[in-house]
Amino acid sequence: MARHNLEKQLSILDFALSSLWRHRMKSLSVLLVFAAVIFLLASFQMVTQALSDKAKQVLAHTPEITLQKMSAGRQESIPLAYGEQLAGIFGIRRVVPRIWGYYFDEVRLANYTVMGLEVNEMPEGGRLGATLAKGVMPGPADEAQGRVVVGQSIKKTMDLAGRTTFSLFRPDLSLKPFEISGEFSPDTDILTNDLIVMNVADARDLFGIPAGLVTDLCVYVANPKEIETIAKKISEALPSVRVLTRSQIQKTYQVVFGWRSGFGSICLLAALAAFVILAWDKASGLSPEERREIAILKVLGWETSDILAVRSRESVIVSGLACIVGMTAAYIHVVYFDAALFRPVLMGWSVLRPDLHLLPRLAAGDILLILAFTVIPYLAATVIPAWRSATVPADSALGG
Amino acid sequence: MRPALRFAMFLCLLLALDGALLFDGLSRRMAEYATLARLEVVTRGLGLTDLAVATEARYTRHPAVSDPVVPFMDHPGAIEHFPTGAFWLPPSR
Repeated sequence: MARHNLEKQLSILDFALSSLWRHRMKSLSVLLVFAAVIFLLASFQMVTQALSDKAKQVLAHTPEITLQKMSAGRQESIPLAYGEQLAGIFGIRRVVPRIWGYYFDEVRLANYTVMGLEVNEMPEGGRLGATLAKGVMPGPADEAQGRVVVGQSIKKTMDLAGRTTFSLFRPDLSLKPFEISGEFSPDTDILTNDLIVMNVADARDLFGIPAGLVTDLCVYVANPKEIETIAKKISEALPSVRVLTRSQIQKTYQVVFGWRSGFGSICLLAALAAFVILAWDKASGLSPEERREIAILKVLGWETSDILAVRSRESVIVSGLACIVGMTAAYIHVVYFDAALFRPVLMGWSVLRPDLHLLPRLAAGDILLILAFTVIPYLAATVIPAWRSATVPADSALGG
Repeated sequence: MRPALRFAMFLCLLLALDGALLFDGLSRRMAEYATLARLEVVTRGLGLTDLAVATEARYTRHPAVSDPVVPFMDHPGAIEHFPTGAFWLPPSR
């Protein structure tokens, strides 16, 4: 009995495959469009998920609290004296001032991120040298005057041709010379690609920031469980200051890539539009050829349930194959081609572009999400036409 | 050869390709663990708050420390015009 059932199922599968092969141009075009839609959705899902994962892993080590001064809705320099006002708050281990900002290179049309800080004051600052591909980190302020460490893209964009010196303009257009003392490793590109790291005095001189002011203050606390409490106390002590905690920064990267972004919405809408067209085509009626085929099958003794089974097998084969092809192509696109199709939107007009080395983690939930958006609506859209086709009276189709 | 068998062979070929990709992914994952330690030191040592993916606009270079309203701050009635603004959502704060 079981053998008979298996043979029947295999025969139905054979018939469904033969039917798809008979209409191979139509089947192939549906398969390709379907696979392209899945490729688009899966690529977006994989890119955003890989970036969110990377952010979650590395941003677990951001400063515990970051303080920025706000004035008239904009961020502005924060007085160093604010750091001294925090001395009374119990639990703060240290406050490290930083000067950082953006330098627009008008010749190369590139934005550099300039970061000025005393690395010896930062946690693990002493180990930064081990992350460099070449050279050393600048030491304490006096010795390291004018010495910088640069990211890979900065080195490539400046095209120094063996030189280790370059100059940047101050706000008054006078030139400030720098010497490259080290380069960040390509492995850390996703964080350091556009960075020029120098000491605070050099950054102050470059940006023309008056003494006593810095860009922000990094606050480190003794007990990580007290971060929220200390942040609240800082907010009360310094009302004009925006207090960003580590958890807020991490949360940002869990929501910053999502389906609600413009590009994400376009991917979803494109997929939806494709399915609506497909469903419309399927549900709008049977072709005379299809009606004739069904009628012949019925005359030959096929039951309605058999015809329904053939039609549903056809849908499962097309949607299953499209899913495998689309998701495999998406993985290859993201991992081996660095999401090349999305880079124009992901990086826009950026001149400095890191090698992302994305490696998506394919969780069952992500696969189910893509299946829920693609295969399940397709199967649902083909149920009614399959039933309609199965209930066609044989005599009417054959013109009797 | 019956069509079901031919289809099964084609399916096996596709799954073999996926298996090869899976194995390559595992070896890449091992290499990624090695670089993760470096990334952690850089993040702690420099106090970094953001990924250096999009460098064209300050609100997509540093979304974690920017205001959601920053794209519209340049002048009254300013519209957001950088391409990366289509990919990156403003942080909800």
